[in-house]
Amino acid sequence: MNDQSPYVLDVDEISIAFGGLKAVQSFSMRIPRQGLYGLIGPNGAGKTTCFNLLTGVYRPDKGSVRVDGEPLTGLKPHQIAAKGLSRTFQNIRLFGELSVLDNVKLGSHLRGSHSLGGTVLRSAGYIGQERAIEDRAMDLLSIFNLAGRAQEQAKNLPYGDQRRLEIARALATEPKVLLLDEPAAGMNPQEKIELRTLIRQVRERFKVAILLIEHDMGVVMNLCEHITVLNFGETIARGTPEAVQNDPKVVEAYLGTE
Amino acid sequence: MSRLVDQARSLSPAGWTVLPRLLWPLVVGVVIAGLIQFVIGPNISGFTSKVMLVAGINIIMAVSLTVVNGFTGQFSMGHAGFMAVGGYVAATITYYGSIKLFGTADFAGGTVSWTGAGAFEGPIVGKGDLLFIGSCIVGGLAAAGAGYIVGLPSLRLRGDYLAIVTLGFGEIVRVLLQGTPDQIQPWKAKEALDVPWYELLLKLGGPKGFNLLPTYTTLFWVYLFVVLTLIVSYRLKNSSTGRAFLSIREDEIAAQAMGVDVTRYKVRAFVLASFFAGMAGGLYAMDIGAINAGDLGFQRSFDFIIMVVLGGLGSISGATLAAVILTILPELLRDLPPIWPAGLVLLAGMAAAQKLRGQWRLRPLIVVAVLTAVLEIARRVCVAKGINIADYRLILYASLLIVMMLSRPQGLFGVREAWELFGRGGKKPAKGAA
Repeated sequence: MNDQSPYVLDVDEISIAFGGLKAVQSFSMRIPRQGLYGLIGPNGAGKTTCFNLLTGVYRPDKGSVRVDGEPLTGLKPHQIAAKGLSRTFQNIRLFGELSVLDNVKLGSHLRGSHSLGGTVLRSAGYIGQERAIEDRAMDLLSIFNLAGRAQEQAKNLPYGDQRRLEIARALATEPKVLLLDEPAAGMNPQEKIELRTLIRQVRERFKVAILLIEHDMGVVMNLCEHITVLNFGETIARGTPEAVQNDPKVVEAYLGTE
Repeated sequence: MSRLVDQARSLSPAGWTVLPRLLWPLVVGVVIAGLIQFVIGPNISGFTSKVMLVAGINIIMAVSLTVVNGFTGQFSMGHAGFMAVGGYVAATITYYGSIKLFGTADFAGGTVSWTGAGAFEGPIVGKGDLLFIGSCIVGGLAAAGAGYIVGLPSLRLRGDYLAIVTLGFGEIVRVLLQGTPDQIQPWKAKEALDVPWYELLLKLGGPKGFNLLPTYTTLFWVYLFVVLTLIVSYRLKNSSTGRAFLSIREDEIAAQAMGVDVTRYKVRAFVLASFFAGMAGGLYAMDIGAINAGDLGFQRSFDFIIMVVLGGLGSISGATLAAVILTILPELLRDLPPIWPAGLVLLAGMAAAQKLRGQWRLRPLIVVAVLTAVLEIARRVCVAKGINIADYRLILYASLLIVMMLSRPQGLFGVREAWELFGRGGKKPAKGAA
């Protein structure tokens, strides 16, 4: 743990190209502790690719990512999760056949140790850990108002609940930085307002920094302290919501030129 | 939030409580196996007990394959190959071990292993039994080792590619075993005493098979291993390791993002499944007193895959039931008993299940009723016309499988266990211990 670094997430000039397509070019971003940052851009700008680069799904061709001062270069996705970077997915990726509770329990997986012998023999340590995992998962579910549906199969939840369950599952990994990929997608206006409150609560309660990709300008402009705008893989603007809204390049990217 | 490890420590039960949890599966296993061997065994025909034996071995194979194909969703097609590895290792240790240690390859066990005619005078467990059980466990370990060697590089592959690699592994094992030198026959046991261990253990009989092994496998040993396999698999399924297995099947990318080391858990599942398959191989070899790699090719692997798929991918009780049904069915079709009682039982069971769940669906009931009627009429026509159904049993068997897959593609129980189907809305909350 490096407490000297004021930034919990430090992305330095990462780039990736798929063949000739430069999907992300020299993307940089620094998020302070408990920062609430946004990443926006038109469709195909490279936002989700950025998330995939941060979480190790793709390896950047150049550049480096640090979480709490620790470099993530060359690590596999599960090791990056252990370093404290957790995410949700644009097209919800829950473990559909498993129960809501088991989904959240899986989030705690990387914080425990799981020896085969202990599991098969049901050692005291194994049982204690299993109880702890269950307690923590139930606590998280209560916070997200999902405790009543703990035993249901995740695929049977309504859409909004599935989005919230994904956030709960990501928080169970005890992250330092939470990456949310279009959390408001498919929600109605009322749900979007609730989501804004929820995201703020999550930041206070779990002391995480949050980076979110979002198309809904109401959510982003209201919520985020700092916004980065991508277009065709390049960073075209960054700053406070007001500054970004008035940036001519951003207006051009979204609305085109006259 | 405090750390998970600290919280776990405060919630751990006292250390000694591991003892009962460790011992009860063994006690239950010995009791059930003893009942089957000494209470049921003497009252059934030799044929029935043989079918029960084979069913038991098939249960171990199907349940262990469930760990790979059902839990982690990886498609292994070489399960019989691991059975062959374990079977040959156990056979060679038991056979040449008997010769080196006891001077002959004859049976040297006690009452639990006695399969010959007449009453047996001697101890309950003999020195030969210990050699046999030890060899089965070593066979399991050898198969697990093979599983590790095959699994580590190949489990990075997905879907079809993994299936092809495992299929290839099974065939390589078969070909290698068929290329081994002739065995030293029991009546030449004296010659074997001069041959060094490492040479002796490889004389596996090649294409003729490894024959005239002492037979130790009885209902007792088979069902002891069946109970242990079932308990271990069930404990695995309801554990953090089991959840990691299932998460890989559900969504590999999400599993990685949640911190599950996907390759490691795939290898883990593979190694475990191979271990049980290897032990089953040992039981199989010392049941018939011979093992032939030619019988353990890919067709055998497919038999086990059919059991797993039919039972429901991921369901331990489903795989068990399917293994039993698919072992008995071809035998039943030899001399077909009336079908309508089975149909009635099935209908009653389905009706009871629907009532418990509180939702009525008529269509499956009608399908079963009509199917039973059609089959029963067909059977009576055949009997009246003097047609021998046994000649067509493999066609019947295949058609039954096709009907099953069309009417219930998720298998008998899907991913759930039999008893969970009767609860409302899924399984009951599991509280750590089992």
